[in-house]
Amino acid sequence: MTETHPVPGGAVAEVSPGRLAAALIVGWLLPGAGHATLGRVRRGVLFFALIMGSFGLGLAHDGRLALYSPREGFLTGLQLVANMGIGPADLFARMSVYGEAAYTVPDQSAPLYRPRIEKFRERQRSVVSAYGTAYLWSAGLMNLLLLMDIWDIAKRRKD
Amino acid sequence: MRSHFAHLTLYSGIIATFFSVLTRRDRREQLRFAGLVWLAMAGGVLVLAYLMLPFPR
Repeated sequence: MTETHPVPGGAVAEVSPGRLAAALIVGWLLPGAGHATLGRVRRGVLFFALIMGSFGLGLAHDGRLALYSPREGFLTGLQLVANMGIGPADLFARMSVYGEAAYTVPDQSAPLYRPRIEKFRERQRSVVSAYGTAYLWSAGLMNLLLLMDIWDIAKRRKD
Repeated sequence: MRSHFAHLTLYSGIIATFFSVLTRRDRREQLRFAGLVWLAMAGGVLVLAYLMLPFPR
């Protein structure tokens, strides 16, 4: 973890704060793109394939797109973080599954409550949902790890 | 795909590859590390499953 990234001439590559911020934002928006921004293109492409592959498998296997519920705020909050780590792909998945950008369990008296919960439970009842959830959440968490990796690369803590 | 074993091997493969590329730079080291992680995950589950054999649902 203490390796540095040498550049021709023997100096160590500098990453400006602006470039670091851009790499972090782009990396969250599109898995692997942050690494590509910092010149690690092959690694970025491989990360993209792994993370989006995992995400796709998760969606295909009825993985849980978590909804925040104040009744179980801590756990559902963590689930949301795992889902949202993948970036806008999570938003598109929610729009495709729930028909809207759904992130919370609505109040029971709200007209939205029943269709959203029904959709959520329908996916959860699927026999492969547990597998799908593992793929989905792993994809988001892997992308969050990549953001930390981008930080380490920019701070010259690793290659 | 409903096979638990297929998911086990596939999921372990994804995780092992991800962490090997994330934490190792040398290609040989990456392969070695990925193999170890994959074996630990897949093998660990099989060992656990074997140990649970006397305790059916």
